[in-house]
Amino acid sequence: MTTETQIDNYLTALRLHLGPLTIAEREEIVLEIGAHIRDSAEQTGASIETVLARLGPAEELAAQYRDGLLIRQASRSLSPLVLLRATLRLATKGLSGIVVFFLAIFGYLMGGGLVLTGLIKPIFPANTGVWFNDDQLVSSGTLFPAPAPPAHEILGMWYIPIALMLGSLTLLLTTFLIRRSLRISQQLQSKL
Amino acid sequence: MAIQRALPADGDQPDRWEAQLRKGAVEMAALASLWQGRLYGLEIIRFLESQSQLALAEGTIYPILNRLKAEGMLTSEWVEAEAGHPRKYYSLTDAGRQRLRQMAEAWTSFSRGLSHLLESVLQQQEKIQ
Repeated sequence: MTTETQIDNYLTALRLHLGPLTIAEREEIVLEIGAHIRDSAEQTGASIETVLARLGPAEELAAQYRDGLLIRQASRSLSPLVLLRATLRLATKGLSGIVVFFLAIFGYLMGGGLVLTGLIKPIFPANTGVWFNDDQLVSSGTLFPAPAPPAHEILGMWYIPIALMLGSLTLLLTTFLIRRSLRISQQLQSKL
Repeated sequence: MAIQRALPADGDQPDRWEAQLRKGAVEMAALASLWQGRLYGLEIIRFLESQSQLALAEGTIYPILNRLKAEGMLTSEWVEAEAGHPRKYYSLTDAGRQRLRQMAEAWTSFSRGLSHLLESVLQQQEKIQ
């Protein structure tokens, strides 16, 4: 295989794996990496195989660009779907990513659940609330059937603003924590 | 007198810690390499190798430069070279310079504090040796 064919093959694979980026971005990256390969071989006298080995597989190099884009978009986004997708990608990279992913799932379920029950309360007032028996918490949320006496519901219609406020706060906090973790992760993803 | 290891007998623990430490510094080092003027990717890699102990995997620097550019810390321009192909040169923007100054101040004050803390550890180690 000639030197130029080897370089072309590498750049074709790189272009292929840079899929989600815009055509202009993709072509600029391919041009830059092509220049790097030629310069590196020329300046160090190393073979193309050595230069390509030092760059790493085209797929892995492309993945670093794709991750950068995904995390950059997510760290500015408010959409739970975009944020969860980015944390899922983070979870494939190590233990801290897995922790962030599960915290994100927990935060969204908890916050979403609270908001949902706050909205359901006017429709099923007897089945939604916080039940106590003496000083012991029995249950909370929307339950069918509602806990039987002696357990009693303590918040009444106050449940609505409290659940909506706590739920929104949890969702906001979860979003903030995910975005913060994504920004930090960007600075620590580089390979040495 | 034997020195007891603070870490468990997992040989690669200190290496992993050092790798994490270096990873955190790559962004600052990449910005710092451009303080004196514009450079292209391979020059940045060579500069970091010669001026610091940061031997990067070669493919690593380009996605970082791409991200720093997207964040407005760097600008780039294509320059025709004698090599027969254009090269992409990176320069610091004003925002990049400001961020680098902040990072340098934070790094210096942090490392000064830690050096002070570790002085007695290193002195004690010298005595043991």
